[in-house]
Amino acid sequence: MADVDDGTSAPAEPMDLVRLCLDEIVFVKLRGDRELKGRLHAYDGHCNLVLGDVEETIYVVEEDEDEEEVIRTIHKKSEMLFVRGDSVVLISPQGGS
Amino acid sequence: MSFFRFDTNLPRDRGHNSGAPGFSQAADPFAGLSGRDNDDDDALDFEDTYDGLGDQLDETDDAFNDDTFGGGEAVAAKKPVGMDFDFFGQTAKVSDAISEEQARFSRQPPPAKVAPSTSMFTQPSAKPARTGYERYKEPEYMPEMQVDANLWGVAPKRSTPVVAQPLESPSTPGLASGGRKMMSLEEVEAAMRAQAKKPAPAQAPVPQQAPAPSHPQHPQQYSQAPPQQYQPYPQQPRNPDYPVQGSGPPRDDARSVPVPQPVQILQRNQQQPSPSQAAPPQPTQILQNPNRYSAEQQNRAPAVQHPGHQSRPSGSRHIITHPQQLANLTEEERAAFLMEDAKRAKRNHKIFLLSKDNGLMTPQDKNFITRIQLQQLVTATGNPNEHGTDAGLSEDFYYQVHNQIRGGPRQHPGQPLSNFAQTYLFQTGGRHGGMRRQARGGDNHMQRMEQQVQRAVEAAKNKPKNKQLVIEGSLGKISFSNAKTPKPLLNIKRPESGTDGHRPGSSARDRRPPGVNGSDRKTVLRDIENVYNTLMKMEDHARHMPPPITDDINPELVGLHMDWQEKAKSLNEQLWQQLKIHEPIGGPSTHPFIAFLSYSKGKKAIPRVFRHITQEQRTTILTMIVVHLDQLDVVRQAILLPGENQVNAAVREQVELFSLAVMPPLFGFLNEAELNIVAAVLGVICSRVNVDVIARTRIGVSMLTMILSRAELIKQGGDIAEQEWEHWVGQYNTLFDLLEPTLPNIFPGTVHTGEDVYVWQFLAAIGIGASPEQQQRLVMAVKDRVMETVALSKTLPAEMSSQRLANVNLFMRSIGLDVDLLVA
Repeated sequence: MADVDDGTSAPAEPMDLVRLCLDEIVFVKLRGDRELKGRLHAYDGHCNLVLGDVEETIYVVEEDEDEEEVIRTIHKKSEMLFVRGDSVVLISPQGGS
Repeated sequence: MSFFRFDTNLPRDRGHNSGAPGFSQAADPFAGLSGRDNDDDDALDFEDTYDGLGDQLDETDDAFNDDTFGGGEAVAAKKPVGMDFDFFGQTAKVSDAISEEQARFSRQPPPAKVAPSTSMFTQPSAKPARTGYERYKEPEYMPEMQVDANLWGVAPKRSTPVVAQPLESPSTPGLASGGRKMMSLEEVEAAMRAQAKKPAPAQAPVPQQAPAPSHPQHPQQYSQAPPQQYQPYPQQPRNPDYPVQGSGPPRDDARSVPVPQPVQILQRNQQQPSPSQAAPPQPTQILQNPNRYSAEQQNRAPAVQHPGHQSRPSGSRHIITHPQQLANLTEEERAAFLMEDAKRAKRNHKIFLLSKDNGLMTPQDKNFITRIQLQQLVTATGNPNEHGTDAGLSEDFYYQVHNQIRGGPRQHPGQPLSNFAQTYLFQTGGRHGGMRRQARGGDNHMQRMEQQVQRAVEAAKNKPKNKQLVIEGSLGKISFSNAKTPKPLLNIKRPESGTDGHRPGSSARDRRPPGVNGSDRKTVLRDIENVYNTLMKMEDHARHMPPPITDDINPELVGLHMDWQEKAKSLNEQLWQQLKIHEPIGGPSTHPFIAFLSYSKGKKAIPRVFRHITQEQRTTILTMIVVHLDQLDVVRQAILLPGENQVNAAVREQVELFSLAVMPPLFGFLNEAELNIVAAVLGVICSRVNVDVIARTRIGVSMLTMILSRAELIKQGGDIAEQEWEHWVGQYNTLFDLLEPTLPNIFPGTVHTGEDVYVWQFLAAIGIGASPEQQQRLVMAVKDRVMETVALSKTLPAEMSSQRLANVNLFMRSIGLDVDLLVA
């Protein structure tokens, strides 16, 4: 029985794995040194995402007075976010854990 | 417009210009001539008309070629010769007609009283009295207008042959247009039709003008002649007196042998031997011929003669153009005739306008275009067959929901599409048939179209599923992407489900060892997605339920119902299996179904699942949940540890969701359940579940409240078997005993948190069913909390205070007390 179930449930496409993350907290890495963590409400084949309760982290490299590079992070929170797929680098289901 | 663009209006033509502007008004041109019918003899005396210029012509050299062909400036008003000179291309096409006309002219019987010399020459302009219309007076003269059809294709050329002889006879330039203005093709056509309709009244013979030989010495005079015909001395005198019209053949023979006759002017008489007649056109004749349009074209005809054509001017032709005829009419008749004529011309003109593009496409062309169009339609709307399958439908969820809401005329999403082309054709066919009463023609047309559509649909069906199609003749590619199948960006072949689970990568990782209940995260998530997939299919399927069976038994409908139910059943089984309800209970790890419920999307699925399962299955689910009540995440994680006032937000959210999503269906089911089921559920709780745990959680307490209140309602409804009630009471007592130690701890947090409504509700549910002795124990257990709450309420604002007291009163009333007693 377990074998049969496996046959029908094994993901056949990469996007099927993303589907498993629906309604779950996901970690999304974006181009431009940005990261998102939020609940995945919807996605499509272009990796366009709709996230809820998102926490966005932006990493900015700045130079301080000593001309040393300092990485500064900016945090933003959004209730709902539409992420265009072309900026998505990775989607990780580990966001919640 | 003349060939050389002269001003073609001559003084002598003024009468015609004003009176006969067009062919369509054939009667008019003669209005001014009607009085002269008998004067023709005088006017046409050759000696008077001939100025002898022809004798002076030097026809041996080509000194004037430039004049003719545009080489010199000597020719007055000569404009650059344009493409009009395209003899081979355009003019040659009508050469037949020209020679035909010529032959006909030569064959016309000469008027008895007219001297053979009464012909018009190149100098007719010298005598303004000569109008060029004399020939209309011939009884049998028939304007030869019905030339070959291809003439109309080169209609614009009709004006080109008009000859002017600027040098030789300055007064003749206007001859080019004769006494007429330019007529449009429509007018010519209209006149033709008009003439064809009218009977030809016999008319007295009128002096026939022999086609006068032009001055051969002036080459430019023949510039319009087809080159192959061109001769510097083409003049063959017509035989005006040639008696019989039908005597063509000898003439033709003669014509075909052009004989050089430098000076023909003097020879033009009927005695002229036939062989000596040359074929070339005779410009003067053209100029004199009111029907010059056709005449010109015919005159330009090459030597080739079609004897048969010469008889074409049939006796049935209308000869109203004869002035005398018109003159004989009364005023009213004439007016009526003119009116009628104008009307006809107008109508013909309209017909012409409408039909000017006729015949551009052959039937094959039309078929081809239609085929392409229909193919595009079919491909654009997708393959109708695909719509019947659930696979196709489940990908188009929102469209279907939208459609369902709108309740459009389409019962089934796939239905109208498959009938699309046919419907379209029926509509057009109906219109067609309605417009013209030719059912036959319309039907044939429709049938043909239908067959084409069917073929097109068939072809589209059979076509391999290209994502793109380039149909021959279509502009660009046709993309198959539509709402149902958007253009795929990632084109990954989806293997047949059931065979893909053994990919090397996934098999080792994903496959659970047999016997171990899958509770790992990914497996559960996958289960949830499978359930949702099946749910969507079932929901789609529910939408496709065939119409209810009516009284009259329709075998087809019954069959549909059977099919539908069979499909529903298989989907139900699939769903049931995916819910994993029947996984063995009591394994080492969490039951798959409970793990399923631990995800919020799993919880959200329950209401939808409940809609599609049987009562028995609902009972099973309820039992499963109750059995694992203490394992539910919303119970396990919601237990407050000592000192905690509140569970964390995430758990609270889950509890809330569970209350909103899972409890209502369970509650709804339980509300219709019989007492034996309720008692059995309670028995399960007592025997399998840690009551102490569940009683300290909101979900657990709510569940118990639900069960107890249902039992109370059943009891109040009466009509219960004694045995069942006793069974219930036994279960209740068991529960009470199990519950009693926990009662002091069932309140969440301290009295100040104020989130204890559900607890008071639960206590009320217990108190109602409790025996007096149990009520006593109950009061003892919760007495402290009651007193605390009452005390707290006194410190609270009135509104909150009454709220709190009302909560407490829920319990107090159930055991026959009232909180007012304590407050007071």
